[in-house]
Amino acid sequence: MTDLAYDTPPSVESAAIPPRAWAERFAYGLLAVLPGIVFLLFWQWASGRLIRELYVSKPTAIAARLYELFASGEIYPHLWTTGQELVFGYVIGVAGGVLGGYALGRSPRLARIFEPYVMAFYGVPKIALAPLFIIWFGIGVGSKIALASIMVFFLVFYNVFAGVRSVDRELVNLTLVMGANQRQLTYHVYLPAAAPYVMLGMRMAIPYSVIGVIVGEITSSTQGLGLFIHEASATYDPAGVFAGIVILLGFVMAAGALAGRLERRWLRWRNPSATGPGDI
Amino acid sequence: MSDHVLAFDAIGQDFPAPGQRTNIRVLDGISFEVDRGKFVAVIGPSGCGKSTLLQMAAGLLIPMRGAVHHRSRRVTGINTEVGFVPQQAQLFPWKTLCENVELPLLLRGVAAGERKERVASALEAVGLKGFEQHFPSQLSGGMQKRGSIARTLVYRPDIILMDEPFGALDAQTRMLMQSDLQNLSMEAGATVVFVTHDITEAVLLADQVAVLSQRPSRLLANIQIDLPRPRNMFEPFRNPGFEAAYDAVWTEFRSQIDTGRAH
Repeated sequence: MTDLAYDTPPSVESAAIPPRAWAERFAYGLLAVLPGIVFLLFWQWASGRLIRELYVSKPTAIAARLYELFASGEIYPHLWTTGQELVFGYVIGVAGGVLGGYALGRSPRLARIFEPYVMAFYGVPKIALAPLFIIWFGIGVGSKIALASIMVFFLVFYNVFAGVRSVDRELVNLTLVMGANQRQLTYHVYLPAAAPYVMLGMRMAIPYSVIGVIVGEITSSTQGLGLFIHEASATYDPAGVFAGIVILLGFVMAAGALAGRLERRWLRWRNPSATGPGDI
Repeated sequence: MSDHVLAFDAIGQDFPAPGQRTNIRVLDGISFEVDRGKFVAVIGPSGCGKSTLLQMAAGLLIPMRGAVHHRSRRVTGINTEVGFVPQQAQLFPWKTLCENVELPLLLRGVAAGERKERVASALEAVGLKGFEQHFPSQLSGGMQKRGSIARTLVYRPDIILMDEPFGALDAQTRMLMQSDLQNLSMEAGATVVFVTHDITEAVLLADQVAVLSQRPSRLLANIQIDLPRPRNMFEPFRNPGFEAAYDAVWTEFRSQIDTGRAH
């Protein structure tokens, strides 16, 4: 899509917000952080008093453990392996889901043949496939990528399939009368109409890719965050378990924020009033 | 066949009825012609298949019986020489107004410089100058409709097909749009087929009104409207001869309205 002068930089957007709104935003931000802080404080206090520290560790111990892991560099090989698996698994799953969903969405004939199969496989608990994938693809990164991508695939597939099917038939006809060929129809109508669904699928798929990779690593692996968490829990090291989980949490939140930014950029037309003064 | 741009020739069409084995006959042998530069209104009770006729002219639906001829060529597939203005504006929500109006030219391979010029003049003609970078969701219903008309005018189609385009607008906007449409089509010398269920609208806008009956619909009458132009859209009764013209259409139309029914 063409980027005209409409593409206002974000600084302009935030500058347009009056100071009172800023204060409000800040207040809400504080309110949102508050329950988290209360929870952490309670955890810190309760650990060793209500519950044995061996079971739940405590926030300060986890923070210390995290620092130690990064300072010593012990965690980096695990991060590198897991990161690779996540990125490849996610990208392959999304690409397959978009292509498959689009093809079946556009062709009612293909959909009639393949939809029942995809539906059936959708119901299979993919986690149950983890041991099989280890046998098929080995204990290296391959099996984890396969597991993550298959989980991502189904989510994205169904969203894109539904999105392409929901395109208004009249809009398609109109575009044909305007003189569009199939390629132009895809580019100007089907893809932009399906974009919100693609984005939704992509956002929903982020945590699933993490689940796929971690389950794969816990099942069998030589390196990775899943293995690290598994070993920590096997050696009664709750601080290690929680440190691993915090890292995963950070990853999911960062990826979610990135997807949100991407979504606002791509789908500017859905909520254009936020881009500047244009309301009439 | 000399001056006929569009000819409906004994059109018949059945549609499957939900829950029944037999089809419903909707159109039953409809024939009429549209001459070049004429504004033809098609009027009929709801469900009589008025819109179906337009779809056939656009080649989106091939009639079961009979044929549509566009400049003596039988319409057998998508007819890209017509322009279609649907009931809802149907602008592309992901494109700005400017990109929306530009699209038909882009699809037809018009060069960038010319595209820009023609989009600007089309938007100016419908009074939307200054809204080029707005998305459809930022425009009012009337403005969206204008955008939809600009998007059709911009590629100068041989015939403009309009399917109850002003049905969803409020009364004031509607009169304004009717007035603007009259000016635009007079300036462009456009051939227009305009489907409506509003007699006043049909009489005010058209040179010729085709009156369809209830299902299975037939052509009841093809009435010439010879009121001088430009006509006053805001005070219909002030047009000399309006009453007689309205009467001529109403006489045909009244038999199709079930006045005996309790309301």
